[in-house]
Amino acid sequence: MTDTRRLGPVIAFCLAALTMTYLSYVLPTLLPGDFVTAMYGGSQVPLTEEQESELRRHYEGDTGFGGYLKRLATLEWGYSYAFLKPVSALFFEALPWTLLLLGSANLLAMILGFVLGVEVAWRRGSRLEKGVVGGMTLLEGIPEICTGVILLVLFSYQWQWFPASGAETAYVTSGFFERCIDLGRHLALPLTTLILAYLPGNFLVTRNSMIMVMKAGYITTARAKGLPPRRIRYVHAARNALHVVVTRFGLRLAFMITGALVVERITAYPGLGTLLFDAIRARDLPVIQAVVLFSSLMILAIVSGLEIAYRFIDPRIRHAR
Amino acid sequence: MKSTVWMNMRPWIIFAGVFLALWGFGSRPDLFARGGNDEIRIGDGKGDWGAPNPYAHYPRGPGYIRMSWVFDTLIWKDKDGAIPALATSWAYYPETRSFVFQLRKGVKWHDGKEFSSADVVFTIDYFKQHPYCWVSLDAVAGAQADGPYSVTIKLKRPYAPFLSYVGGALPIIPKHIWKDVPHPQRFTQPESFIGTGPFQFRDFNKAKGTYLYTAYDDYYQGRPRIRRLIYIKTKNPLMSLLSGRADLVTVRPDMAGILKEKGMVVLEDQRGWNKKLMINHRKPPLDDKRFRKALAHAINRLEIIDKAHQGLGSVAAFGLLSPDHEFYNPDTPDYAYEPARTAKILESLGYEKDAQGFYMKDDLSLKLELLTSDITAGGEPMADRDGEVIRKQLESAGIRVELVNLEQTSADNRVRNWKFDLAISGHGGLLGDPEILNLMISPEFKGSVNSARYGKNQTLLDLLSAQVAEMDPEVRKRLVFQIQEVYADDLPAISLYYPASTSAYNPARGIDWYYTQGGLALGIPLPQNKMSLIR
Repeated sequence: MTDTRRLGPVIAFCLAALTMTYLSYVLPTLLPGDFVTAMYGGSQVPLTEEQESELRRHYEGDTGFGGYLKRLATLEWGYSYAFLKPVSALFFEALPWTLLLLGSANLLAMILGFVLGVEVAWRRGSRLEKGVVGGMTLLEGIPEICTGVILLVLFSYQWQWFPASGAETAYVTSGFFERCIDLGRHLALPLTTLILAYLPGNFLVTRNSMIMVMKAGYITTARAKGLPPRRIRYVHAARNALHVVVTRFGLRLAFMITGALVVERITAYPGLGTLLFDAIRARDLPVIQAVVLFSSLMILAIVSGLEIAYRFIDPRIRHAR
Repeated sequence: MKSTVWMNMRPWIIFAGVFLALWGFGSRPDLFARGGNDEIRIGDGKGDWGAPNPYAHYPRGPGYIRMSWVFDTLIWKDKDGAIPALATSWAYYPETRSFVFQLRKGVKWHDGKEFSSADVVFTIDYFKQHPYCWVSLDAVAGAQADGPYSVTIKLKRPYAPFLSYVGGALPIIPKHIWKDVPHPQRFTQPESFIGTGPFQFRDFNKAKGTYLYTAYDDYYQGRPRIRRLIYIKTKNPLMSLLSGRADLVTVRPDMAGILKEKGMVVLEDQRGWNKKLMINHRKPPLDDKRFRKALAHAINRLEIIDKAHQGLGSVAAFGLLSPDHEFYNPDTPDYAYEPARTAKILESLGYEKDAQGFYMKDDLSLKLELLTSDITAGGEPMADRDGEVIRKQLESAGIRVELVNLEQTSADNRVRNWKFDLAISGHGGLLGDPEILNLMISPEFKGSVNSARYGKNQTLLDLLSAQVAEMDPEVRKRLVFQIQEVYADDLPAISLYYPASTSAYNPARGIDWYYTQGGLALGIPLPQNKMSLIR
């Protein structure tokens, strides 16, 4: 009985993974047009029929879903039509930039939002609470493309504090310290844009959860015992509000590839979002399939990971039957 | 008490500290911005145009330009027109239908090997065997070396665009490297970037859209004026130029004033790129040229330029070739904006207006679908704003229009397969060799999404064949004049306007960039001529 209960989620996970793998294989092929049309169709030098069929023959490498699975099993991700490089190389070139941007934005927005939410909820009814809640609600309503453009205009165009595009200054020979500063300067605007986009949600969710938790009897007991306020806030109250923020963090991270697409586009940041966008425009099927597969499997893995994480964060879940 | 104040103020002090630190680094934009004054950085919105060898670059102008820094051609162009490159002189011999090129001596490939006629002969043979989509060698029979520095290229038939489309566009590749390459599309090893051009290729990063070239000191036309040439990807060309991160960028024409105020030089190109209305002339009622003329009279092209482009552009010639072209025919049929004439033509075709003021025939409403998408022009994607204006104009003339905005490849795919009524498209090359007329009209190019692919008028097809085979420039000019007349009369597509094309550069870097007359190679309208960095 116990084994069946343990096996159930594993089987469900495997089935979901297989379905996602199939979808990542088949959906990109349904896009109208192909690589030859995308790459050569609008060229100033049109192709003759013969050249066109020759190119189609060259780029036709579909071996069916079976072949696709076989290749995946041998860690063979395919070869990009447009980039003339193994898909894995392209993927791992772009991944660190996405992790740097999205990972730090999510982490910072979660920590800031959580701490701010806890502190503001603790001061419920104060002018600080009203001001911060008002400000965050307003910020929540501003789309990130708008924030991004405002930051670019102010900090790049007007004051020229930070570069407008890219992830680093290309082809500059510099030491480790200078490179870190350069990376930081390029990261500043896209990172701030994303933090401003994620922070209000994290803050509001934490604050609302905290307000609910603070009404609980055990908080009154903790106060009556004379425990230090910070201990009550973070050990007794905030811990019970944490799982909502962790869920949000996980889901944000799961949508890592598409999550920063807008910001990556307006600041020409070379992450996975940009890679996927360019691949779709070029109908570069092997790249689209690989990125979509990675993205969907990541969502699955993170959702499953969250299930496990809840057990550690909230003992009630661990002991629930 | 002191501790409480500190606790309350601590977040603000930390925030102020971080802000000041950022300001400290940020207020020094030139601190780590670039390597030095002996390099040029060119900004581009797309970044990736493929690796810069003939088989890996993307088949668009910016891709070709990136390759042209590394690979030289037999002939090139500077400010004043054609100039010798790898060939020092050339002549055409009609009796043998061949071009004879005298080649430059002492030219070395980037790996130090000597360049000779064997490389030119090999290039012709290799490109015939493995077609290069940018240059067609269909008219070339073959090449033979007449000595180490002389080559004869024999034609199958007289081919007037040869000097522009082959001599001035075909990159010469080294025999000692490519002779053992069976699949050129996959050859991107470091040796595939060895050319005779003024710059040596060093690096290309697709993800970041950056390219690095270094000066080739032994370049046969003299050492380049800078040490490093760099392409960077930028989504904000104006900011990149003003902050010193780029030295040359393509900008929106309405930014010209700001840039001039800041001391930048703004370049305006000739009218070599047109936005046009593709028409599905295979299906009724669009297969009737009278109907197409009715459409033309219903479109106010000046209004499109004013409303969608702030007046920055000029109306296009209906004969396709640009008014700035030496073969432009000013007497081609013209279709002024006259909705009354549209009404007259439609009524003569049996259409009547319904209660809502829209035309119908045989109880069927006249309704057309108009496809629009973002189109890449000069390497930059342009959001379409023309479709809505055209829809309103046609509807006010009594023609119902359904506007469909698609992503570019999806729209291209429908145009390619003739699954459309009207579509907004565009292309350049209108200042280059008049063979552009063949490329943009002939039905031979079935997969094209911006060619009219029109084969219904045999006179037009005959004229097109005749003009490319006519080696006498004056006779050819007369043929090209006729083509423009017939094309404008048949209207298989409607040329709408030439958007203003603007680039800007920082003169403090000491390089004078310019748009090349007639465009580079096949007519690329970009001011990135390698001669700017040589002479």
